[in-house]
Amino acid sequence: MSSADTEAPVEDDAAQQEPDERRDALLAGLTERLGDDLLGSHLEPGINLWIRVTPEAWVPTMRHLRDDLGFRFFEFLSAIDWMPSPYGRYEEAAVDVDLHALRDAALAVDPTTFETGVAGGDTRFQVFARVVNVAERDLGIIVKADVPPSADDPAEPGAVGTIVAVYPGADWCEREVHEMYGIGFDGNPNLRSLYLPSAFEGHPLRKDFPLLARHVKPWPGIVDVEPMPGEAATPGADEEADG
Amino acid sequence: MGLVESGKLPKPLTQLLNTSRKYSLWMYQWGLACCAIEMAAVMAGPRFDVMRLGVIPLPASPRQSDLLCVSGTVTDKMVPAVRRLWEQMPDPKYVISMGSCANCGGPYWDSYSVTKGVDQVIPVDVYVPGCPPRPEALLEGIVLLQERIQNEDMADKWRGDPIVVS
Amino acid sequence: MTVTESEQLAYVAAKAADARVNVELETDEGMTLNIGPQHPATHGTLRIVAKLDGEQVLWVEPIMGYMHRGYEKLVEVRTYPQVTTLVNRIDWLAASCNETPFILATEQLMGVEAPLRAQYLRTIFHEMGRIAHLTMFLGDMGVQIGALTPMFYAMRDREFVLNQTESVSGGRFHPNFNRIGGLKDDIPKGWLEETIRVMRKMEAFCDQMENLLLGNEIFEQRTRGIGIIPAEIAQQYGLSGANLRASGVDWDLRRDVDSPMAWKHADFDVITHTDGDCYARTWVRLQETREACKIVTQLCEDLPSGPIMAKVPRIIKVPAGEAYVATENPLGEMGYYVVSQGDLGPFRVKIRTASFHNISIVPWVLRGVYVPDIISILGSLYFILGDIDR
Repeated sequence: MSSADTEAPVEDDAAQQEPDERRDALLAGLTERLGDDLLGSHLEPGINLWIRVTPEAWVPTMRHLRDDLGFRFFEFLSAIDWMPSPYGRYEEAAVDVDLHALRDAALAVDPTTFETGVAGGDTRFQVFARVVNVAERDLGIIVKADVPPSADDPAEPGAVGTIVAVYPGADWCEREVHEMYGIGFDGNPNLRSLYLPSAFEGHPLRKDFPLLARHVKPWPGIVDVEPMPGEAATPGADEEADG
Repeated sequence: MGLVESGKLPKPLTQLLNTSRKYSLWMYQWGLACCAIEMAAVMAGPRFDVMRLGVIPLPASPRQSDLLCVSGTVTDKMVPAVRRLWEQMPDPKYVISMGSCANCGGPYWDSYSVTKGVDQVIPVDVYVPGCPPRPEALLEGIVLLQERIQNEDMADKWRGDPIVVS
Repeated sequence: MTVTESEQLAYVAAKAADARVNVELETDEGMTLNIGPQHPATHGTLRIVAKLDGEQVLWVEPIMGYMHRGYEKLVEVRTYPQVTTLVNRIDWLAASCNETPFILATEQLMGVEAPLRAQYLRTIFHEMGRIAHLTMFLGDMGVQIGALTPMFYAMRDREFVLNQTESVSGGRFHPNFNRIGGLKDDIPKGWLEETIRVMRKMEAFCDQMENLLLGNEIFEQRTRGIGIIPAEIAQQYGLSGANLRASGVDWDLRRDVDSPMAWKHADFDVITHTDGDCYARTWVRLQETREACKIVTQLCEDLPSGPIMAKVPRIIKVPAGEAYVATENPLGEMGYYVVSQGDLGPFRVKIRTASFHNISIVPWVLRGVYVPDIISILGSLYFILGDIDR
């Protein structure tokens, strides 16, 4: 998962067959500039370019992109939690299940064995950002960085540097990521809560955060037929609706 | 008024007072989300004109309004504001819960930040289902509320007893 | 009135300097004014805490989250078709526009492309969503300034467009009509001719708005030179759509990004303005409504025949991968970063909404302005709370 993954895969019939010169040149320039800091990359010709850098190189890479390569448009910044969710999905919410046991079992799994996405990954949490070069039509790049574990508690995510000095629009995005994941951003004094009330406990977008309503009530409408008044009540789901 | 409280008002007078109250509702539209746009279409659009029913929009403050129409998703962060503004409305006041988010949480029934229905916070008189309900559905809800006001017992309302619909 | 970039920066610096001077002269910090979260002038549940010195703003802090419904967590527990339903409700005035980038991202991961007729129809619905949305904006912008009449014209004329959406999909907004691989159904008979007639009406509406609103002296005084955002700052904050184009940046995803939609088959202009003030933003959006009417008319006239749904399996399982697709929505640039691990539902979806970034510039642009200008600047930046808070 952590190998330098510089493949340019031939996608299915939707992608273009001719090589993407602009993105190839961009990737080559970045490889030369970043050297060992570039841990992985993924190029989809005509569609997108991903690179993964070390957490220490996160801020210098963004600065290089903005100042030297003309990526002046800030699109977004966010994070991913690669742990597979221990809870049910779709219409499979289970009622009265032991949430703590499920979560502890999930947390006991080694984060480096998770399936991570394009350009690889070593840790459970990754931050990623996309910036665009508006002068060159449709040239955007997605930069990913692993979030190292926190020094105090290895199960918690630590921090990466803040890119607010490079793209001021990242301020609110970093606040949101901090609130939703608990990832710190060194140098950002403004990491207050953005969306959630101040009394909210927990980091909702982590995979081990349960949606409690799903464990208290089944999927609405899954009970297909209500008994007529006076008939014997037939409890539970008679037929599971198809996804 | 001691007469109203003790329930000794003669029936024709009650009917008259109820009729005049049902046709002069000043609606405090609590437009939160998508349902607010349908509510705006009902209020401001010449197509689904709600003023012909006697309901006029945009009171200057909650202290001057009779009818609260909660339309849209109520989040946990918003609940204190809903409660406080409802308490500021003077009696007799009525509440319409418009849309499935305000009725029961709607499509966000399993979210961590959505209140599953505004009736957890304030008492609701009429629920208008839909996502979003058509403007005609909101008009129907208002008409049903008016029927309810027409038939309500003023003494019960004054005392704050729960309203029983016969 | 053209304003150079140095003049724009000088204006902003002067306003900020004014604010600082006032702080030094006064002994106390100023009055705190809380606007919202329930307020007729904030398009929804946005709360603005403003620190004022008299009539001038010292700093402003928007507090969001009153409409935060937890989309990014909810979509992890829904299947792809269910996500399409849910995602309609982010920007609730132009619902087809929310669905489009998500469907395109999923189709990119699956490697399917919708047939040509479906692409044309999707683009038509997207542009009609834009017209409905911008019509509401024009009415709303009048209300922010204090002109209540344009709102009634806007609500009346919007009904024509909503009628057309309803006759196709059954829903006035939230049509929920896009499916992965195409559309749910074909359009009814006579729909195309009626739509072209509706576009004529909307163009007449645009002319009416131009006369009523933009030609009004009071409107000009309240919006010219107010809330100037230089192009560089706009890009760094991630402003998009008409806000960016009104500051002079020529960037429109319909023209610049190659996507399987029918914009490349239509002939339209991308409107920019150099001033970057409230007037420019309103003017750009008015012209965009006209362009959208043009696009819809052209695509309706050239609609090819054929199937409206590609061959996709009944139970949609999207292969593993990541994709990011953004489209030009009426509010700006909206994109979905879809991470799939080969399941029935997405692993993670990052929803990049335009209003979130449009509003992130508010603390910067509202320094040193007067209180009535807060409302006109917010109105001209134009946001939808569902878009900010998701």
